[in-house]
Amino acid sequence: MIKLSSAISITLCILSTLTPSLAEQKEPLAPAANATAATNGIYSSIVRIEAATQVPNYREPWKAGNFSGGIGTGFLIGPNKFLTNAHVVSNARRLLITVHGSPQKHPARILHIAHDCDLALLEVEDFTPFEGLEHLEIGLVPKLESQVRVIGYPVGGNRISVTRGVVSRIDFSTYSHSRADQHLVVQIDAAINPGNSGGPVLQDGRVVGVAFQGLRSADNTGYMIPPPVVKRFLKDIEDGRYDQYVDLGISEFTLFNPAMRKKFGLEANAPGVLVASVMPDGPCDGVLEDNDILTELNGNAVDAAGNVLIDGEKVNMNEIVERKFAGDEIKLRFIRNGKTMEKTATLKPFPPAKMYSVQYGVAPRFTTFAGLVFQPLDRNLYAAHSFKNTRVRRLFVHYIDEAIFKERKDIVILTRILSDPINTHISNHTGKAIESINGEKVTSLDQVHALLNPEETPEFFVIKCEGLARPIVIPSNKAKEASERTMRNYGISTPYRLK
Amino acid sequence: MKPFLTIITTLTLAITAQVMANPNIKDSLVRVNSTQQRWNTSQPWDKLAPSSRGALGVLLENKHILTTAEMAANSTYIELENADSTRTLPATVVAIDYESNLALLAPGNGNAESFFSALQPLALGKPAKIGDQVDVWQLEDNGMPLITKATIQGADIVSSFTRGHYFLTYEAKGSMQSATSSFALPVIQDGKLLGMLSSYNSKDQIIDIIAPEIIAAFLADAADDDYQGFPSLGIGITNTVDPNFRLWLKLPEDMGGLYITSVRKRSAAEKAGILKGDVLLAIEDKVIGRRGYYDNEKYGRLFWSHLIRGGHQVGDEIKITLLRDGEKKEITAELTRSGKKLIPNHMHDQAPNYLVKGGFIFQELSATYLEAFGSDWRSKAPLNLLDAFINPEDYEEGRNKLVFLSATIPTPATTGYERIRNFIIAKVNGQEIADIASLIKAFETPDADGLHTIEFTDGQPKIVYLDANTSDTIDAKLLQRGIPALSRQ
Repeated sequence: MIKLSSAISITLCILSTLTPSLAEQKEPLAPAANATAATNGIYSSIVRIEAATQVPNYREPWKAGNFSGGIGTGFLIGPNKFLTNAHVVSNARRLLITVHGSPQKHPARILHIAHDCDLALLEVEDFTPFEGLEHLEIGLVPKLESQVRVIGYPVGGNRISVTRGVVSRIDFSTYSHSRADQHLVVQIDAAINPGNSGGPVLQDGRVVGVAFQGLRSADNTGYMIPPPVVKRFLKDIEDGRYDQYVDLGISEFTLFNPAMRKKFGLEANAPGVLVASVMPDGPCDGVLEDNDILTELNGNAVDAAGNVLIDGEKVNMNEIVERKFAGDEIKLRFIRNGKTMEKTATLKPFPPAKMYSVQYGVAPRFTTFAGLVFQPLDRNLYAAHSFKNTRVRRLFVHYIDEAIFKERKDIVILTRILSDPINTHISNHTGKAIESINGEKVTSLDQVHALLNPEETPEFFVIKCEGLARPIVIPSNKAKEASERTMRNYGISTPYRLK
Repeated sequence: MKPFLTIITTLTLAITAQVMANPNIKDSLVRVNSTQQRWNTSQPWDKLAPSSRGALGVLLENKHILTTAEMAANSTYIELENADSTRTLPATVVAIDYESNLALLAPGNGNAESFFSALQPLALGKPAKIGDQVDVWQLEDNGMPLITKATIQGADIVSSFTRGHYFLTYEAKGSMQSATSSFALPVIQDGKLLGMLSSYNSKDQIIDIIAPEIIAAFLADAADDDYQGFPSLGIGITNTVDPNFRLWLKLPEDMGGLYITSVRKRSAAEKAGILKGDVLLAIEDKVIGRRGYYDNEKYGRLFWSHLIRGGHQVGDEIKITLLRDGEKKEITAELTRSGKKLIPNHMHDQAPNYLVKGGFIFQELSATYLEAFGSDWRSKAPLNLLDAFINPEDYEEGRNKLVFLSATIPTPATTGYERIRNFIIAKVNGQEIADIASLIKAFETPDADGLHTIEFTDGQPKIVYLDANTSDTIDAKLLQRGIPALSRQ
């Protein structure tokens, strides 16, 4: 399920260690080089992952970004298949895998990465040293109150660490890696610490979860990704490509109010949740309408709170869609204007939702012109600049539900003005959305770039920002010179990056 | 003999001068003690806890006392007290101007004759010059005057009490000390009232003084029963310093000018035909510079708005010179009061309108409501309400005020609606909602099933229903539980 709100408070913390100190990077010399599966058992299949990362700079997008690194855990689930968290290997430039008790570092690469459920599959360049190691098997969702073991390479030492805990909650919750996705989560009371990320949580020798995040505000709460999410990821990549989660694209409103129920002619115990809004261009656009009452999803009765019964547990109805893939069909039974209807929706990916997910492994797009820096709005940019302007905040929050994405592929923001004689008297325009350039409505960064670099130059470039009547005016005959001067003075190596 | 006589004469003169300067002024000063109370924005039927403040007022002709609007606004009780605290008298507000921060009080019920018997009215003096020395008067607890000398360093257009309203203000340098009744103080020059101290910055030791021109205009307006207030033109502006911008506007180098970014609806500017995008070059032949300053014969460079608010009354006609599409244009504008706003800038002395229905609390949006979200209300207040505040023109059609659902009291009628708040109302029972009065009327006609239909302009869900009978029962209970009235309009 994709969360479309911008106001998600992040109290979750990700559990890979960042930039280990030099002392910690030293490998112990003691263990024998020929440590084998026989001596280490299951531990040998649980590996230490060392990532060297390059994090893009969204404030000064022409820069190479910050080089840093971190440590996480991974485990062998098949021939040359190591499972870990996406956040352990995100933005990685170099990955090294180490087996417990061995000094040797094996270069690895990402096979598949799923940022929306924080999972990644890695392979090593040479699998020979790992032949014969045990492949961990994915089990089922552990029962409440049952005991589990968390194994990994958390901070506090270099060698493998084991902690025990009890399953304390099974819930639908936010995955903090993308900040926009919600899936099933299992909470345990074992001490999970940075570095545990991507490590297996075991019960009776089987993997019942992947440790992935903690809670800053509470002690002894760790979260793991449960088997249904892991299995869905593994199934999704079977065709050689990760297609992402799909979503119904509706928001529901509970039908608890008696007057509301009376209006829709619902009996006291009748099932059904109100469809409060249908996402434009989403899978249910044209299938469901506002004020429909959704009563069944693929034959599962939906109650007034929007929950369904799966395996004896009441869970959010999105859990049904969670296990589906792009192209799958969902049967919907609903009441419209008092009449029961049945329709089918075909699930599909929804690219505009990217606006709300943190992006990894991509270089930020931008273009510059006479010292003005233009960047497309997304979660990364928002986090880097914390925009105050009401128009920009509104465009961000309502990008999807008000179908702004249909007209505007990008919301282009003037993020910075690099002082130069040509622009020194422009004030108040930083942090605003660009409405038009020379009278043409702005719909994407590519278009902004094209409008600012036309074949035939107008006398002036007139750039209008939303909510500001006074436009930015740049005379064409001075623009080129100013662009070159600002690039030189401010050390901008590339004037633009459109992809 | 002759030299001796001369000396005596000078001495006498000197003594009279001092007698005239000090005791007379003290006889014109009155302590103003005000108890003020604002309304609670989240529970609009309640008032917040009262607070008290004291200031000095100046006795003018007709037993009128001048003080600042900040002292009189939201007052529940104003009391006058003489310097040595032997007599008190209740007072009423004759005229109050929140924009210029001035208020005129008159004696209320009580023995006015005895209160005023020992007091002398003070006359309003002439404008001061930069460099003049003035006296700021305070009174100690024991009634002794405490006089601070200050030097006027400059004149500027400053906003003191109401955000966005700027008036001529002297800025004087002087080191003041704490004393009772110092919330507003008279400033005296040559034995006459020069102005009212509206604020003191202890760090920079700068005293802001409301200028005599503004006080004179306020008093002239307040002389009749119908107080109108200061006129306005109704435009938003930005400077034209940027040479590229000037080139595009075809503004010649020898001209100044302000770029007009907005023209308020129903304003004097709109009626006079001023358009967004025009350049304001001069008012009454006073040439306005690139940053908006003009040459004032008394004070040097002053901000252009003083040409509107400094010496004019509502109804005055003024000559305006504009540049439109590179061509000069002269027009005449008749100054008006700024019209009623969809979202009022302040709610002083006004109880907020509201309606409680079945547990839903509906209100009319004001800046005061948004400001209650704290000092960083511009980022903390609900985004949709902020948007309406910043872009009211998008919401004006069919509305006098912006009615919104401010909160939901959990009741049997609002089960399942507990989290609904800060949604703007479009229609109730099919009727468009222009203000609380029309909302109350719309709730009189539920549908045949006995349900009220409430439609929002934003928010999810877009429509909710309320059972008419249940909500009436609950309204009765809410009254029993202590809400004094279910609505105010």
